[in-house]
Amino acid sequence: MKELFTAIGERIIDDARYRGVEAEAFFLHDRGLSIEIADAKLETLKEAEEIGLGLRVINKGRLGFAYSSDLSDLAIQELLDNAISISAFTVADEHNVLPARVSEYPRIELFDEEISASSMERKIEIAREMESAAQNTDNRISIIERAGYEESEFTVHIMNTNGLYASARANLSSIYLFLVAEENGDAQNGFSVMSKKRIQDLQPDAVAREAAHNALRSLHASTIASGLMPCIMEPYVFSRFLAIIARMLDAEAVQKGKSMFAGREGESVGTECFSLVDDGTFADGVASFPFDGEGVNTRRNILVDKGVLKTFLYDSYTAKKAGRLSSGNGQRSSFRSLPSVGSSNFIIQPGKSSPEQLIADIDRGFYITGVMGMHTANPISGDFSIGANGILIQKGKLDKAVRGVTIAGNIAELLRDIEAVGNDLRFFGSKASPSIRLKALSVGGD
Amino acid sequence: MLDKSILTMLLDQALKKGADFAEIYIEEKRVSNVFCEDDRIEKINSGREKGVGIRVIEDGSTAYVHSSDLSIEGLQKAAAVAAGTAAKNGGGEHREISLSTKQALQDIKFKRLPEEVAFDEKISYVMAANKVARDFSKEIRQASVAIADIHKKIQIANSNGEMIEEERSRVRTVVNTVAARDGLIQTAYESAGGACGWEFMESISVEDMAEKAANLSVKMLSAHPAPLGRMPVLMSSEAGGTMVHEACGHGLEADLVQKGLSVYKNKMGQKVAAECVTVIDDGTLKGRYGSSVFDDEGAYSQKTVLIEKGELRHYLYDYLTANREDKESTGNGRRESYQHKPIPRMTNTYIAPGQDDPEKILKSTSKGLLVKKMGGGQVNTTNGDFVFDVQEGYYIEDGEIKYPVRGATITGNGPRALMDIERLGKDLGFAIGVCGKDGQGVPVSDAQPTIRIKELTVGGTGSNNGPQIKRIRRM
Repeated sequence: MKELFTAIGERIIDDARYRGVEAEAFFLHDRGLSIEIADAKLETLKEAEEIGLGLRVINKGRLGFAYSSDLSDLAIQELLDNAISISAFTVADEHNVLPARVSEYPRIELFDEEISASSMERKIEIAREMESAAQNTDNRISIIERAGYEESEFTVHIMNTNGLYASARANLSSIYLFLVAEENGDAQNGFSVMSKKRIQDLQPDAVAREAAHNALRSLHASTIASGLMPCIMEPYVFSRFLAIIARMLDAEAVQKGKSMFAGREGESVGTECFSLVDDGTFADGVASFPFDGEGVNTRRNILVDKGVLKTFLYDSYTAKKAGRLSSGNGQRSSFRSLPSVGSSNFIIQPGKSSPEQLIADIDRGFYITGVMGMHTANPISGDFSIGANGILIQKGKLDKAVRGVTIAGNIAELLRDIEAVGNDLRFFGSKASPSIRLKALSVGGD
Repeated sequence: MLDKSILTMLLDQALKKGADFAEIYIEEKRVSNVFCEDDRIEKINSGREKGVGIRVIEDGSTAYVHSSDLSIEGLQKAAAVAAGTAAKNGGGEHREISLSTKQALQDIKFKRLPEEVAFDEKISYVMAANKVARDFSKEIRQASVAIADIHKKIQIANSNGEMIEEERSRVRTVVNTVAARDGLIQTAYESAGGACGWEFMESISVEDMAEKAANLSVKMLSAHPAPLGRMPVLMSSEAGGTMVHEACGHGLEADLVQKGLSVYKNKMGQKVAAECVTVIDDGTLKGRYGSSVFDDEGAYSQKTVLIEKGELRHYLYDYLTANREDKESTGNGRRESYQHKPIPRMTNTYIAPGQDDPEKILKSTSKGLLVKKMGGGQVNTTNGDFVFDVQEGYYIEDGEIKYPVRGATITGNGPRALMDIERLGKDLGFAIGVCGKDGQGVPVSDAQPTIRIKELTVGGTGSNNGPQIKRIRRM
């Protein structure tokens, strides 16, 4: 694949130079496999493959972009024509730049040969094992909604008219489990997921136990009285908030006045126990890659250090605008769109207390295990008001299950309310968080 | 699009190892997006894509293979992989497949295909909206306007001998505004879209949309924090149908019901809503965002009465789930693209209008929350708990709108909320959205009349005892 991409890339770069425009060819080849088991039987098996090219041109400062999944000579010719003609309609901007050639990329272990070498039977067996382990945990586990195994393998290849040449491939395997526990007419869901760079690190038993635990502890929940109370968010819950925090630390949002953190570098934005890094080179991180979607080398960036805002996430455009270097965060989700600022492995630094210690001195509080409608939280204003479920904390102990309540607040305020950070760091996809204890949060119930 | 003989050959190939069902889905699409932010055209994107999805079902197991390689060799390889992964026994009986084209029941004409519209024309709409939003007030700090269009041709052939072709065009536009005052930021948006050609843009006013969004974001700067607790909720028809989509729509999708993951399982024929409530899913509504002639498996789109006068009548089926119960698909087998297998999905879902005068419903409400615009939502179909976000809300007292509130979220339980519907207006208002399920997004619309629900939980940051002291946020 690399040879094919290099050959096409060279032709595009030559053509672009001949026509007097700067250009960047972004190639993606990805393959995916997903397996879902139901009642020990294969329910769905999906195999996917796609190839595509996204072409960015800068024509005297004007940006043009077009993409195609067809890599024939004719299609590529049309693609360059399209991108150049589109550039006539956009406004010239001196900050539109392509990154310079990178002489050396970080070396990261990215490819597990065992994933592609393992047989389909073994992969189906991993999902089966997980399903039967879950069924055997407790007789209240009534339905296995889906037990799945997934893998993906992708090659990213980037070339530009500045002589940049970046090419690498990576793969990844994951398992997930959704189930239902039922007792006396009450039915509640539980789920768990695990993603690993190495297939041998997948633990179907652990996923089964956790999913079952999550469903069982939610049974017979009721609502609680509204009020302001101390809250603990489990790692999964806070990892959902991290997705919004990442958007607030995006230099594009900052430069456009769409972030509450604009102009606050060097200031305190959270309590001292809150530190946050973005690390595209993190060993075993699912988002680790030697370069970003523009071919810029990735690195470890400290964003918030002991509560003090240090820097934002930058791609080449926003970096140029801010008069600094890209932080290696020009991300691309596919060949179908232009790069834009995004996080890689986004990690909260863990603290020293165990989750039990975090709970121990709360007289009455809410231990939050799930949130609903997170996509309605507003990354611009920082306001959120979402559904939540969890467990009531009474006299330092987990008490009865709670559901059908809402939690509301503002993310900027929430960071200033973090009282303690747990030692139980967990990755959910590329976001990693420990348990987080908040001084007070508005809980809406009865 | 492919020739019948090639499709037949591919179906033969897919069935070679023995299977109950095989299907070829071919898609060719052109998309374009024009995006303005920071007072200038920032991004224009245009793309072309084509691909194939081959599905083979054997004894309830589905194999799905998709590829962007549409060469004969590529297609044959995909068909062979699908056949190989589905079959366990191998060597099934040879079945003669004779494809015949299913005729469309509706005649959809696009006056102007989006790709025939030059970029400068698209840009003129975007910039017109941008200007209105920015000129609205000094407090508007940012505005973005986007127009996205897609034109696709699909072709489906299956081992039951059915073959369809359909051409679809969709246009969508969204205006986002950000207003700020003394460190407080509020946002608002307006969106519109239809399953139409570019003529859709002439049927709406982007300027009005921009003004509405700008006005709302500025208004919300002076809003009170939303009240907290259980209270009556009045939803006006212009609020859109997020509530019906979440509170009952998803729970009526047959895949969830069959797996036992819906509160509406085993409830067929039973009373699941107040008697005044009738819920309908209709994929044939002309030009609506969730409409199409066929669904993405080649079944005719149709109107399905889900709940009639409070009684559960139908679930939403695709081919696979209907087959399990020896039923016909309701035309709800939808997929995001060739990269996804079809699953039961809503199209245009609404609560049918009732008899009441919307104004009178408000007048008769002693206190509660008025929802004028709903945002996104989510549901847990297993227990029926749902949540949605309130984009524009007001506090009601003594039948009158008292003041705007911001930051409200509403949670409730689907069956309970439907039972608690007390009043139904004679009006009906639609909103568009992209509905996500199993990682697939499909265009939908939903609607409801003005309705009043006896009690739902409102979550905000304020308390519910009278007018609020505004909190000051310092940045």
